[in-house]
Amino acid sequence: MRDRLGLLEFRLTPAKIIILCCIFLNVISLTTLYSALHQGGEFTQHPIFNKQIIWIIICWLSLIVFSLINYRLYFNFAYILYAINLILLVAVELFGKTVMGAQRWLSISGFSFQPSEVSKIVILIVLAKSFSSGRGKGFLRQFVAPFCLTMINAALIFKQPDLGTALIIIFIFFIMGLSSGVKKRFFVFAIIAGIIAAPFAWAILKEYQKKRLVVFLNPNVDPLGAGYTIIQSKIAIGSGRVFGKGFLSGTQNQFNFLPERHTDFIFTVIAEEWGFIGSVFLLIIYWLILAKMLDIIRTLKDPCAQLLSLGVCALLFLHIFINMGMTLGVLPVVGVPLLFISYGGTHLLTTFILLGIFFNIYRQQLYK
Amino acid sequence: MGQTFIRRVYLGGFLILIFTLFYYQVLKGSFFLERAQNNYVRVISLRSIRGTILDRNSTPLAVDKASFNIAVIPYQIEKQKNLLFSKLSKDLNYKTDVLTRNYRRRFSNLFSPVDIALDIDKATALKLKNKFNDAVVINPYPQRFYAYPYEFSHLIGYVKEAASFYENLKKYGYSPLERVGVAGMEKYYDAYLKGEDGGDLIEVNSKGKIVGFLGERKPIRGKDVQLTIDSRMQHIAYELLKDRRGVLILMNSNTGEILALVSSPSFDANNFIKGKNLDQFFSDPDRPLINRAIQSTYPLGSIFKPIVGLAALEEQKINPSTTFVCKGALNVGNAVFHCLGNHGDQNIYTALAHSCNIYFYNIARILGAEKLSDYARMFGLESLSGIDLPYEKKGSVPMPGKKPRHWFLGDTLNLAIGQGYIECSPLEALIAINVFASGGYLVRPYLLEKVDNAKIAATQKTHLGLSQKNMDIIMTGLNGVVDADYGTARLLRDLDLKIAGKTGSAQAKRGAHGWFLGYFPQDSPKYTICVFLENAGSSTEAVKVTHEFLGRLKDEKIL
Repeated sequence: MRDRLGLLEFRLTPAKIIILCCIFLNVISLTTLYSALHQGGEFTQHPIFNKQIIWIIICWLSLIVFSLINYRLYFNFAYILYAINLILLVAVELFGKTVMGAQRWLSISGFSFQPSEVSKIVILIVLAKSFSSGRGKGFLRQFVAPFCLTMINAALIFKQPDLGTALIIIFIFFIMGLSSGVKKRFFVFAIIAGIIAAPFAWAILKEYQKKRLVVFLNPNVDPLGAGYTIIQSKIAIGSGRVFGKGFLSGTQNQFNFLPERHTDFIFTVIAEEWGFIGSVFLLIIYWLILAKMLDIIRTLKDPCAQLLSLGVCALLFLHIFINMGMTLGVLPVVGVPLLFISYGGTHLLTTFILLGIFFNIYRQQLYK
Repeated sequence: MGQTFIRRVYLGGFLILIFTLFYYQVLKGSFFLERAQNNYVRVISLRSIRGTILDRNSTPLAVDKASFNIAVIPYQIEKQKNLLFSKLSKDLNYKTDVLTRNYRRRFSNLFSPVDIALDIDKATALKLKNKFNDAVVINPYPQRFYAYPYEFSHLIGYVKEAASFYENLKKYGYSPLERVGVAGMEKYYDAYLKGEDGGDLIEVNSKGKIVGFLGERKPIRGKDVQLTIDSRMQHIAYELLKDRRGVLILMNSNTGEILALVSSPSFDANNFIKGKNLDQFFSDPDRPLINRAIQSTYPLGSIFKPIVGLAALEEQKINPSTTFVCKGALNVGNAVFHCLGNHGDQNIYTALAHSCNIYFYNIARILGAEKLSDYARMFGLESLSGIDLPYEKKGSVPMPGKKPRHWFLGDTLNLAIGQGYIECSPLEALIAINVFASGGYLVRPYLLEKVDNAKIAATQKTHLGLSQKNMDIIMTGLNGVVDADYGTARLLRDLDLKIAGKTGSAQAKRGAHGWFLGYFPQDSPKYTICVFLENAGSSTEAVKVTHEFLGRLKDEKIL
């Protein structure tokens, strides 16, 4: 039997490079988590560390499973998936569990999950389908339909309120739309409409989110809350200098000056302990994944699959850019985890499922 | 937009990140390293004051008072920690491991003060400061104090440090040391009462000396909350109930303002603040922590009869001249249903005044259990009153034919006198009788009058659409309960307050519960009252407590 992914030959195909990079990122994640969970020289939080190992195993299994499911299936059921996704979001609104002021979790017989994560996957599928099937079919089919699909979804997520995910979904709409061949001026209209709608969106925002946006523009407004986090995060990153302080030696990290350092702000630990060299190394690994994905995407023949893969790639890029941007103080603190590295299973699972879908597209392409 | 373009955009994004990293880590690296080495940035927290809770005459009931903690700064005492703790433990009369435990639990970082001894009186705190100088820090903080704990604990509730459930509260803007209301008004109106902690963000040098000021957030004081309760009435009510188990509620009939609400036995909320001697409340078989007015339900007994009478009138099954003969007992099938007296010919007026069971058995038979159950529900006996207190529990009204088992005619008769499967809280009972007093409204009771001197209170009531003529008939009957020579609450006549009402003795396992529900003056009621005594044997005691309570209010001219 032919080895479709070329895994058995000793030759670095793009797919192999991506997989190696992912494994490498898992290792970096666990190493950094091990350091971030230290306090005063003691490793205190075994359960969190062990949980993450289990999540990584689950994620790889899902990647394998999803790489075996024919991706065309998703397109056949795209709108049904979308409807289910909306129902889940509305259900969260009605019955959701409130965790820390945000109603993002839905609990079904003891198993709770975030429908907004499901949304990320579904919106990619739906946009790929609706942009590619609407091509050359007039303004309504090629622009208004995908626009409405995106905005309804984003609005529901925005209301939860999960600002980060809502913004990511809107960005994905633009990236996928612009690469699908739809006239560019439509998107200019969309941006103008967005500017007009912005004051209304501001009105729905929760008090703490308004604060975050204001703090982003001027961190000194809130020197104790987000301002404190950004100041400490900058000190941590900067003090790593070129070569870093070494593994387990980051003082900002070890002395507990960094809030949320095992979740959204985990990059500060890497930057402090491994320095500029380590940070750039991490970026290079991320870049390899994105670049190899784009290489593969270029060879794809099915326009629908190509668009979906572009969307997956865009989602990865946005997560990396927004998270690092917010730890560096160049973007607002919107609560987006660092891809592959942050503690937490849900975002990891979404990423691996999307990669699984991407690998299936790639396999089918080779098979042809 | 081609794929090459996308690749360029992504590359651009990565270059921005690399450039920013280069700026912070390479160009300004030494600057940040120096800051990190001494950790120059420090937060000194400034605690906010919680709003005061006042009664309607502005008597303070719950206030913040200054208390003092003894704290140490970890990095200053690193080497002499054990020595210092053993010295401190002698002076404070604390065990050394208590200090160590507090230290471990409250440690956040090397440079922030850690409270090791809590709630120290001012004199001791100053003495320690003199003795140990810079080794200890006196940390003043506001502590909640309840002025009349036994009278008000069920209403006001108490607060707790957010630390234990901090994870759930973080995004609502709570900090771990902040206090959160966990019961009573403190919980219900936490959003008004809680202020916002502030702090100073300062820059210090490597010796811990302040060298710069980076910013501050001023603490914001919480808002004052004023109750509808008149504490003079509340004191008298508690005095009358304190050695019994029971409830007394006095409400403005038309607006729903609660003027007094006491549940006995009560507890001292200050113990929850200090975390001391709590077992006595948890282990007490009389369960003092329960607010019996809203969190317990009881059989109604005869106080249900006015509703039964009204139902029969509304459904046109009886009129004022309808009579039934009471011979002291009624045979239904094989069972005999008793009355407390041998009342003879009874109409609706005399039946209410006597509280004659036979009369109501008879109309229940004509009316049917479904109608009784419908009217009970209409009068709010199975709905929350909507009072602004947390953890209210609603009563239960049986659904004939459905629960809890096959329905017999005997169940219908039992229901007619408020026994069997019908139960409600004393507050629900008060709201039900208040339908007559308010001219046919289900009035929502409330406790919040003003927030920071701005009037918030608003009456909410629903008209039930009952005929005023029929209600007048029942109300005339209820006048008779007090005014007639044979009325069960005739004791109240000498108060000269023109009271109307209904007594009730509800059968229960540990002895009958005593009820008195009423309102006054009869023609245009202003006040509605509920007195409930658990296992008091009969309604006699409840009437006596009502008599004494209203008598004293009248004597002290606070009615």
